[in-house]
Amino acid sequence: MSIQIEEKGQTRTTALQGIWTSVFRNPWPSTDLERSSTSFTNFFLHIHPVKVHKHTLKPAYTLGLGLISFFLFLILVVTGILLMFYYVPSTTQAYDRMLDLRGTVAFGIFLRNMHRWSAHGMVAMVFLHMCRVFLTGSYKKPREFNWVLGVMLLLVTLFLSFTGYLLPWDQLAFWAITVGTSIAAYAPLIGKEIQFVLLGDSTVGQEALLRFYVLHVAVLPAVLGLLVAIHFWRIRKDGGLSRPEEPTPRPPTPDPRPPSRIYGLQGFVRGAFNGGAPEDSVFSWPNLLLAELFVFVLTVSVILVVSLLFHAPLEEPVNVMHPPNPAKAPWYFLGLQEMVSYSAFWGGVGVPGLMVMLLIGVPYFDRNPKGVGRWFAKERLLANTVFLSLVVLNIIFIIVGTFFRGPNWTFVSPF
Amino acid sequence: MQSRRTALTWLSSVGLFGSAVLSAVSNLVFIKPRATYGQPMRFAIGKPDDFPPGTRISLDVKRVCIVREGNKMAAISTTCTHLGCIVGISDTGFACPCHGSRFDQDGNVTGGPAPKPLPWFKLSLAPNGELEVDKGQAVEAGSYLNV
Repeated sequence: MSIQIEEKGQTRTTALQGIWTSVFRNPWPSTDLERSSTSFTNFFLHIHPVKVHKHTLKPAYTLGLGLISFFLFLILVVTGILLMFYYVPSTTQAYDRMLDLRGTVAFGIFLRNMHRWSAHGMVAMVFLHMCRVFLTGSYKKPREFNWVLGVMLLLVTLFLSFTGYLLPWDQLAFWAITVGTSIAAYAPLIGKEIQFVLLGDSTVGQEALLRFYVLHVAVLPAVLGLLVAIHFWRIRKDGGLSRPEEPTPRPPTPDPRPPSRIYGLQGFVRGAFNGGAPEDSVFSWPNLLLAELFVFVLTVSVILVVSLLFHAPLEEPVNVMHPPNPAKAPWYFLGLQEMVSYSAFWGGVGVPGLMVMLLIGVPYFDRNPKGVGRWFAKERLLANTVFLSLVVLNIIFIIVGTFFRGPNWTFVSPF
Repeated sequence: MQSRRTALTWLSSVGLFGSAVLSAVSNLVFIKPRATYGQPMRFAIGKPDDFPPGTRISLDVKRVCIVREGNKMAAISTTCTHLGCIVGISDTGFACPCHGSRFDQDGNVTGGPAPKPLPWFKLSLAPNGELEVDKGQAVEAGSYLNV
């Protein structure tokens, strides 16, 4: 389909076409030039480079995990804003509003399900995305700082999930936050202060609910959005997604033109296609766009199906006098809670703190430049083994905390 | 000329950076509440006669357990020193439902991850004859109030 703009004034443009072309500067692309300028002149498509390396589009390389995380975030923003219309951050009303979502609000329960399952999904996908980036060695030069931004994004995602956990004001929420904020109090020197500022009081109550609400709906999404923007921007500036080094560097084709002082835009981008042949890359429109659309539709469909099938949990309203036994944190913190049951300081602050430091430092410790852009590269055997063992250890702790812990945190068998 | 420009650059940089730090600090001061709206630290719990001798009554909302042995009374915290759950009264003392910490009758740790014994709070008799607990003042374990 193509819409003609003007052919040297010969074809008359109708008023409708005039409006159309005032909004969309390009015709529906049919030539390579139009395909480039579509990516270039459209505000929303402008985030893409005009061309991407073919390797970037291999589903088995990225598994689409970063994109899935981002689309889940979009779903969370939309459903979250809708839920805000009916939510009141008050200890006397919050739980009733949860019941209203079930009973009277149109699609209320469905929106809450979508929000809840997307939140769980986002934590899982961000974590898996981090595993993908590590196992393909993609944090190496020049992408070191984008990895650090990724670690921050993981932490903000967890904090977003944690603050949202309190809002239904049910037993699950209250006790998980009681336990979680007490862990913060074990931080050396300023632990008690952190807990007090976070809760606005010495125990979880109205002040804590209001504070968590503000963090959850305003502060943290803004921080996350900003970090995501920088994260994406840096992908472009660091030369696109990581890929294996070219097998044989092609000899540079001699340029017949005299050197000019006009720089191509790509000249400012580190490592973008230099030495790469044109046949290694494809136009973002429509190749990258269709791939993204596919991942988007897939993500939304899965969330819709899961939200139709499973309801978000809602327990009894808060009863300060009766902690559930055992009181458990959300699943992704159960590994932490399991470690905390051995030692509050080491399990809750020491070991997680070291882990975060280690994660942030990885691109600066690991100076081996080999093995970028391939899964489980042989040259990275040591790094990958260490990383995978820590991941497996964490998963084991989560499984033990989830299924093998009964009343008073005693060991029980789920079988 | 050059040195004056350098000095002015330095001065304004320090000024701008200092203002940024000051506003960050004032934000921190702002979000730390000066008054809390939750439970008061000092509260009355009723007359001594409400607690018959030989009983251990746990006031879960106040997070304190009132112990009376004969004419001696005490207030022991029921907030677990591990992660802040409310400990329940068990046969041997107190037990925490969250991570399995156990305490004896006086609040000493007998098992689990709790790092410290349960604190004892100051219990006093107000002029109107009511017992008053002050959670802001911890007393040594074993200090009773005679009623």
